[in-house]
Amino acid sequence: MSILAINDLKVQFPTPEGLVKAVNTVDLELEEGERLGMIGETGSGKTVLGLAIVRLLSGAEVEGSIEYQGRKLLLLDEAEMQKLRGREISVIFQGPNSLNPVLKVGDQIAESIRLIGCSNRKDDKKKAVQAMEAVGMPDAELWADRYPHQFSGGMKERAMIALGLACDPRLIIADEPTKGLDANIKVQVVELIRDVTTDKSLLFITHDLSAAAQICDRIAVMYCGEIVEVGRTEEIFSNPLHPYTEGLLRSLPIMGMRAIRGASPSLIDIPSGCRFHPRCDRPCENCARAHPPLVEAESNPGHLVRCFQHDRG
Amino acid sequence: MSRKSAFSVGLLVLGAYILAAILSSFITPYSPTGLVGRPLDDPSEAHLLGTNDLGQDIFSRLLYGTRATLIIGLLGALLSVSVSTFVGLVSAYYGGGIDEVITRSVDVMMTIPTFPLLLVLTIFFAPSIFVISGLMGVLGGTQGIRIIRSQVLSLVEANFVYGAKAIGAGDLRIMTRHILPNVLPLATVKFVFAAQRYMLMGVGLGFLGLGDPSVVDWGQMISRAYYNGGFALGLWWWLIPPGIAVTLLSVALALLGYGLEEEIDPRLKRSAAI
Amino acid sequence: MNAEYLMRRVFYSLLAFMVSVTLTFVLLHLMPGDYLHSILPYLAEKNPDAARMFREQFGLNRSISEQYFLYMANVIRGNWGYSFLYGQPVLAIIGEKLRWTLVILFPSTVLSIIIGMAVGAYSGWKNGSKTDLSVLNFMIFVGAVPSYWWAMLFILIFGFHLNLFPLGGYVSIDALENGVCIFDVLRHAALPIAALTISSVPGTYYLMRNSTLQTTGEEYVLTARSKGLTEMEVLRHHALKNAMLPMVTVIALELAQMITGSVFVETIFSWPGLGLLTFEALRVRDLPLLQGIFLIDTLMVILANIAADFSYPLIDPRVKVGENV
Repeated sequence: MSILAINDLKVQFPTPEGLVKAVNTVDLELEEGERLGMIGETGSGKTVLGLAIVRLLSGAEVEGSIEYQGRKLLLLDEAEMQKLRGREISVIFQGPNSLNPVLKVGDQIAESIRLIGCSNRKDDKKKAVQAMEAVGMPDAELWADRYPHQFSGGMKERAMIALGLACDPRLIIADEPTKGLDANIKVQVVELIRDVTTDKSLLFITHDLSAAAQICDRIAVMYCGEIVEVGRTEEIFSNPLHPYTEGLLRSLPIMGMRAIRGASPSLIDIPSGCRFHPRCDRPCENCARAHPPLVEAESNPGHLVRCFQHDRG
Repeated sequence: MSRKSAFSVGLLVLGAYILAAILSSFITPYSPTGLVGRPLDDPSEAHLLGTNDLGQDIFSRLLYGTRATLIIGLLGALLSVSVSTFVGLVSAYYGGGIDEVITRSVDVMMTIPTFPLLLVLTIFFAPSIFVISGLMGVLGGTQGIRIIRSQVLSLVEANFVYGAKAIGAGDLRIMTRHILPNVLPLATVKFVFAAQRYMLMGVGLGFLGLGDPSVVDWGQMISRAYYNGGFALGLWWWLIPPGIAVTLLSVALALLGYGLEEEIDPRLKRSAAI
Repeated sequence: MNAEYLMRRVFYSLLAFMVSVTLTFVLLHLMPGDYLHSILPYLAEKNPDAARMFREQFGLNRSISEQYFLYMANVIRGNWGYSFLYGQPVLAIIGEKLRWTLVILFPSTVLSIIIGMAVGAYSGWKNGSKTDLSVLNFMIFVGAVPSYWWAMLFILIFGFHLNLFPLGGYVSIDALENGVCIFDVLRHAALPIAALTISSVPGTYYLMRNSTLQTTGEEYVLTARSKGLTEMEVLRHHALKNAMLPMVTVIALELAQMITGSVFVETIFSWPGLGLLTFEALRVRDLPLLQGIFLIDTLMVILANIAADFSYPLIDPRVKVGENV
């Protein structure tokens, strides 16, 4: 059974400027033990999707169904949801401010551990140090007593990963964990995530295609609030079917670093028809009028794509 | 009560007070200082709020009191905000030595409590409402310099100021046409709250006996009612109305200020991530 | 603790105090009408020794600059002149009355901080909700009522009509026979404390609310929620500590402000503290006494500022003494 099944998910935010349609009818399935990468640029809706799963969006209108091991998450009340968070489904955030600046890092990790009913403070503290060691932090005992502002960017991210794994969750949602890190630190963090999630289910949200490629078995590409291509990692790289995916690959440094023309669309005024058509370099006449559905490619049944021209070979 | 209705209610009530102040000489039945009745008379048709210990009509005095109260509040606030804005503007704009000197002086001055200083100073000057407004304005103005200065600083560093300088605009022009309009919203909010504070302080000074004896002063009315055995003699009509008048005006100004505040500083914090 | 910062802080505090002392000197000696010399005979009537000492210690017959240095030296030594009203040394009178002011000031400051912060934190956390908005409107109203009016209302309702508390003073007449009883004093202090507290709660509330509001949008709050903590746990263990940081400076200043605010409350309640002393001194234009009160107030503000500066690093681990946050 799939550990996560998302059907028909719609997430909208009413704002003074208009209704922001962040996520538009997304269907997604994650098998147990599978690692799926969610690729997209800023504003594609990928982070909203991630937070919607754990219901940590405020001010959002959410429709559709999200099932975790068969349980409909959107129908749970807040107390039940809190029992799942951190323990079964945990989130790893990015960002310099994701750790509370006035609390010691070790205490913040121990707090999570305490939630799964550990015995006393000393044991929690010991386990927190172990969690930090498990993410490769040297002198973990020393650093557990320090504060976030004393940590470097890479170390903070390691601490966040330790935090996310502290209660041994089954599903991990990593939201842009490598954003803002130096290139060499990025490599270390990516390797770390790959190592610690070998037996877990992972939803790896990022704009960094190469990082996703190193960790994930499958990759889903999001654009303007919907999934435009999904497939196994090797498939996506060797045979990208959607023009946006092609554009993303071309923009990688080793592939030539060519940018996709145009700018990301506003989520309030969504382009008609195929949402990518204003930036596509080979649109057909249908693309502006009709909205392409997500269909299986003939060449490969596990490979889904949302484009009228996907089978031009 | 939403921000918008708070704003309107505050404005309306303030307007009513201003109207009362302007029209008081026409609508009061008696002269506020004239001895027109028996002392300590109960409210009657002739005297809506009765008379005080000297036989003056309380209702007339109440209406007349709006003048002094409003003048102290509005004039003091105007002066205070002007001082803050001018000094803050100059200090932030010119920077360098002038800024250093002004900032250090302000730092020292802010440690000095203004209210006791105000009390001491009132002894030396003839207690007219204009002098009191002036003192409050200058003393209070120093407190606001910092805030205006930091806002101007952020504006000065904005590119459009460099742009204006690049095309040769003079300092004065930049300050008045570019920076000042952006500081005005903040200054307006400060003005309203300052008016509230100074108005209350003015009435308070009257209560303490430091007010202008030549004008009708609510604080003085409350004080006289209280010390002439206000409770024991049951002088409600003398003691209560001035207090209510002050409180109502204060609430109106507070509502006005809060109504303006979020218009100008929208800090809608919602923890949403997109 | 950074020694250099300590030095700078002390220097600025001394500077501020010197400015205040200079100000009082200017007022006392340079104002037109030769105030001092015209009033001195009255002091001589009340207490001829005091008048004589005043003349000598402050060198009233010497040049202005000599008088200035003498004055400065006297102030530092604790000789702040003699009150015309009481015929006693100013500092001694202030010291005695200050005690009584603190009796009502301390409890009301503590109460105001606790109530303001608790309600403010809850209000800011539930920003926008019906509870928050109604509390906010309530506080706007409460804060707009002047402190002297609250004092009056309390006496009127609780003292006069309901007869629960006395109408003023700090002890009842029985004390003349039976001595001062603590319970009696507490009964008399209740209403003044209430008046002081209710006047300053809205200010604390508003600031705490804003601070909490800003904290709720921070990333670490999102992290805390994702750990599966309940809303209350997130508020108490994560948000509060951060929201309280800006409040430290504010609280220290508020303590100092309250001293000035107590003028009205003490006058109305006839509470024999600094506030009432100020009122009496104003009535008879007792300048030396008034200036002593002014200097004490300045001293309190300075001490409060220093206390705030040094307590900040205790709460915020990012700050070491000497850094500007």
